Amino acid sequence: MLVIENIVTAYGKIEALRGVSMEAQEGRITCLLGPNGAGKTTLMYTVAGILHARRGSVRLQGQELVGKPSSEIVRRGLALVPENRLTFPEVSVRENLIAGAYLRLTRDKAGVAEDLERQLVRFPRLRERINQDAGTLSGGEQQMLAVARALMARPRILLMDEPSLGLAPLVVEEIFRTIHELNAEGVTVLLVEQNAHMALQIAHHFYLLEQGRITFSGVPGALQEDEVIHRAYLGGSGASSH
Amino acid sequence: MVDFLQNIVDGVMVGSGYALLGLGFTLIFGVMRRLNLSYGPSVMVGIFVGTWFHLRGAGLLAVIAATLAGTVLANVYVDRLCFWAVRQRSAITAVVSSFVIWMQLEEAVILVFPDRTYPFPRLTALEPIELGPIFFRAEYVTMFACVALLLAGVWLLVYRTRFGLALRAVAQDPVAARYMGIPLDWIGLGVAVMAALIGGLAGLLIAGTDQLVIPKFGLWATYKGLIAMMLGGMGSIPGAVCGGLLLGVAEIQFVWYLGAQFRDLAAYFLLFTFLVLRPGGLLGQAIVRRELAAFRRI
Repeated sequence: MLVIENIVTAYGKIEALRGVSMEAQEGRITCLLGPNGAGKTTLMYTVAGILHARRGSVRLQGQELVGKPSSEIVRRGLALVPENRLTFPEVSVRENLIAGAYLRLTRDKAGVAEDLERQLVRFPRLRERINQDAGTLSGGEQQMLAVARALMARPRILLMDEPSLGLAPLVVEEIFRTIHELNAEGVTVLLVEQNAHMALQIAHHFYLLEQGRITFSGVPGALQEDEVIHRAYLGGSGASSH
Repeated sequence: MVDFLQNIVDGVMVGSGYALLGLGFTLIFGVMRRLNLSYGPSVMVGIFVGTWFHLRGAGLLAVIAATLAGTVLANVYVDRLCFWAVRQRSAITAVVSSFVIWMQLEEAVILVFPDRTYPFPRLTALEPIELGPIFFRAEYVTMFACVALLLAGVWLLVYRTRFGLALRAVAQDPVAARYMGIPLDWIGLGVAVMAALIGGLAGLLIAGTDQLVIPKFGLWATYKGLIAMMLGGMGSIPGAVCGGLLLGVAEIQFVWYLGAQFRDLAAYFLLFTFLVLRPGGLLGQAIVRRELAAFRRI
């Protein structure tokens, strides 16, 4: 569904991504693990059109995304739950959700209202807080809001950048349960995580990204979990703990 | 006491012009996080375009339309040059280039209009209204009414439309807004046009009250608008309005009790007091307050 080929993204002279190739298959949860600074968020930014790739290609169902503005990429069916959630703090929960459907707000009022209701059924906590400013929500609630907001765009594929970051263990479990449920409903998910233990429990396929390169690709169980965790936190291929 | 009250009434009326200029500044700053120093000069270009039509015998409606159109064109030109090209890059670069374009606009106007002053038509020819011991100048009442209507319109636009939601989204988190597919460049252009229409109206009302225009109007408008915005709190819409009104009242009180040469001192006095006691302004955006607080911790 989403095919990333040989992507190079640089900040000035520093290449953060040095030829990354990976794939997210339809209907599955694909997970990208790697330590801080490996380039995970850079890859998400590049796929979503916020950063521009120097080389390479990103195709969503065969259509090239590199060089397209982010609004066009959203329109093609790619939505992203950004790292640190990035909800609009002084906008109500309702309007945060509506902003997620920005591109079809004028054409499809009924559809947007329907989707809003669907998200509120999925996340009852958001219904309780519907008129509150997003900034007053707890971290876990804000993460729910960020997920619901991304779903408002009716994405074919959902990219999630470290949804467990900075959340309490119980909340993290709730988030992962939600990801699992969404996937069971047919949403394709590309999940970026550092929490390798949790991620490997729900992923169908995973990649390791270290220093701007993919260093491993396989199904959970293909590598010892210890080694995955080691490399996801610390990097350094072959530095397996023996 | 009557003098004091009369000063407040006059101050609010004068201040409503400042409030509009402050509103334009705060919209641009609040949404784009960029200070557009050329905003005042854009308004100046607009009223000179209006004057050009007035000098050739055009009617009042034509002058009004020309003023608004001139301001919009000038401000879009500034946005395109200084802000579009450098939207994601350094804010300082954008501010400095807007200062350069200010000089360019002012010189261009002086080339076409070499004299010191030019006439501008009166907008209303009504008699002053008397309410007990207090006088209301008709021009000021018109100005105040226009400002009140415009504020209601801006409020509806910002809080009740898709464009307004996009504005607030971009103001609070431009990266997240792009993830939603909100096109930053077009929102920036929309803000430039909206601010220009507000500024153009301010220019019309102020020039119509004074019945004259000068090339230094650009400096004057930037100065009043910036101070109104800073008093109210950068990026806050109600703040800019309160700041403008406060500045107007302070100026008129200073002039009455201390003398006309103290008029500009009122602005500096207020600004100084606020910077020391409440640097975020009256109703500063929570985001700006947080940034200030973070800065203080360093």
